[in-house]
Amino acid sequence: MTYIKVTVKQVGNKHKREFRLGPHATIADLLKELGHNRETIVVRHNGKIVVEEERLADGDLIEILPIVTGG
Amino acid sequence: MLKCTFCGRRAAYNRRYAGVLLCDRCLIKSVEKRFRRAIAKYKLLLPGERIAVAVSGGKDSVVAMHLLVEHCKLKNCELVAITIDEGIKGYRDQSMAIVRENARSLGIEHFVVSFKRIFGATLDQMARRARAKKTELNPCTYCGVMRRSLLNQAARELEADKLVTAHNLDDEVQAIMLNYVRADFSRLHRLGPAYSPREGFVPRIKPLREIPEKEVALYALLRGLKVHLAVCPYVGGIHTEIRDFLNQLEANHPNSKFMILRMFDRLKPQLAGIVPEFEMRRCKSCGEPTSAIICKSCELLKGLGLRRLRKTLNSPKSR
Repeated sequence: MTYIKVTVKQVGNKHKREFRLGPHATIADLLKELGHNRETIVVRHNGKIVVEEERLADGDLIEILPIVTGG
Repeated sequence: MLKCTFCGRRAAYNRRYAGVLLCDRCLIKSVEKRFRRAIAKYKLLLPGERIAVAVSGGKDSVVAMHLLVEHCKLKNCELVAITIDEGIKGYRDQSMAIVRENARSLGIEHFVVSFKRIFGATLDQMARRARAKKTELNPCTYCGVMRRSLLNQAARELEADKLVTAHNLDDEVQAIMLNYVRADFSRLHRLGPAYSPREGFVPRIKPLREIPEKEVALYALLRGLKVHLAVCPYVGGIHTEIRDFLNQLEANHPNSKFMILRMFDRLKPQLAGIVPEFEMRRCKSCGEPTSAIICKSCELLKGLGLRRLRKTLNSPKSR
């Protein structure tokens, strides 16, 4: 397989989006593509909170939870 | 699968500034340890004290409330929660329900003080008036000044020995940078783990000051705490620009936030000679402590064509 397909869901937004990434892509790579700063979000990988250096696999679900809320 | 540096379980967090990976259990233990360490290091709380905690329902204040409950059991302290209802439609009403639920489940007395009842207008109404009057001030200015004043007054009327605010590392570093940018020595000098001003003020303490925002959020999520994660509709301006700048700096250069904090803590004693001394008075209008003739809250209200309706809050039981 030359690429993997993952589904991305932003918590608080009901729309899901699909992304194609290289076969060795990590969550950090995906976040970079999406323009998210890791300091401002928590990521759930197939329902589990994990570190951003985890590798992605075909069919994975990534949920992005923004944590910076204050003024 | 990446493993926890300490126990080998699946890692949930990369603490890049320390070069370690932490699993859910080790992260929870570490946050609790830092909270206890801050209290011990800066002598923030003493056994038997009556503590008021400011709770908005956001992750930081809910985490602070949960951590304080454990601390109070061990140290025989009394704990009460105070929420300021600024009156932000669709935001504060949601978070208020979360505070009530947490307070009830923890068995903590919870007091609510509203802008509407004390000042005669909600923050939404003040924001509309400010727009109509074309003032330069944004809603965060009104909210910040008036909320701080009401929290102090509520804590004082509840006879609290200390007022806990849930400022985390990110909040504190943002405040340091903001005051640098504004060259505001007086406000800069007031920052720190504890601030004990003069008569009329309840000493304010920040036991989460050395815990990064992301770790507070992870603690809340990993412990399954009920928290309000919505964004305040009034967020914006220079605060947001400084926050984004610091988060970019930390992402590119881990440990930057802690370095800014450490540098400030070392410089702070030198500020004492620069900050002018001021005489503490009572506001001519409301009687609250101030360095001016009328306090900042009354001054802001006057600018909006409003005036404070009640001097005492009464809703927090005066014992």
